[in-house]
Amino acid sequence: MKYSKIYFDDVKVGDELPPLVKGPIQQIQLTRYAGASGDFNPIHQDDEFARAAGMGGVFAHGMLSMGFVGQAVTDWAGATAVRKLGVRFAAIVRLKDIVTCRGRVLGKSSKDDVNLVELEVWAENQRGEKVVTGKAIVALPTRG
Amino acid sequence: MPIQLNKGVIGKESPPFVVTVERGKIKEFARALGDANPAYLDDRVGQASEWGDLVAPPTFMTTFRDGGDSGEFLRELGTDISRLLHGEQEFELFRPIRPGETFVCRSKVLDVYEKTGRSGPMGFVVRETSVTDNTNEVVALVRHITVVRL
Repeated sequence: MKYSKIYFDDVKVGDELPPLVKGPIQQIQLTRYAGASGDFNPIHQDDEFARAAGMGGVFAHGMLSMGFVGQAVTDWAGATAVRKLGVRFAAIVRLKDIVTCRGRVLGKSSKDDVNLVELEVWAENQRGEKVVTGKAIVALPTRG
Repeated sequence: MPIQLNKGVIGKESPPFVVTVERGKIKEFARALGDANPAYLDDRVGQASEWGDLVAPPTFMTTFRDGGDSGEFLRELGTDISRLLHGEQEFELFRPIRPGETFVCRSKVLDVYEKTGRSGPMGFVVRETSVTDNTNEVVALVRHITVVRL
């Protein structure tokens, strides 16, 4: 269940995060994200500019997709659980694309009362092509 | 002819800049992502939490900008905004951040290198920003790789 508390004890290697489906991506969301993030690169707003730059039209900020991946992780692990989130932007996200964020538990470790779970995370478009790939480390509480 | 990047920027540190986290900015950022988590949006949920206030989403520090002319760095590097793609991004977060907190951000260019991929010659600019709080504790390290289509 979304925002339910998850415990380190209950997590197993190979567990999958509930998929998070975002989109279809609309221009208004890119404009809104530009305002919220401060990234006003016209390549995400101005189709003519993006075509002249050889990109074939506007595309989404990579950081928007990374934000989606972050949401998939925090929906599962909690808003303050993330210790590390690192991604590579593998392919461009276009208008009308549907972005599905996924994750899988790679490993668990405990040291000095800190319980960490390492995750493989990624986002794919409606054709199943990976647009973001990366890893996350989250700290989780233990039972009792 | 592909453009040449100026490797002289390696090691260059930008002037430190100060940011104060605004309550409304956290909410605006979460809403722009379409993330309805009450930990970012509901003041009462924040106050009742162990952190005593709202917290920021994990990628929020992308909003930490110096407000200056980013074109100046690109000109020194030898390129312009139309050639840029975002290659990689990493946030290492040592604690949550909350509204009203003030941080100092220090950015440094760690590396500039070139590689030829499927879509031709590409430049890579690796930068790291440290974010420190008012007790001089590092609360986050942000690593960023910009790809330049040469």
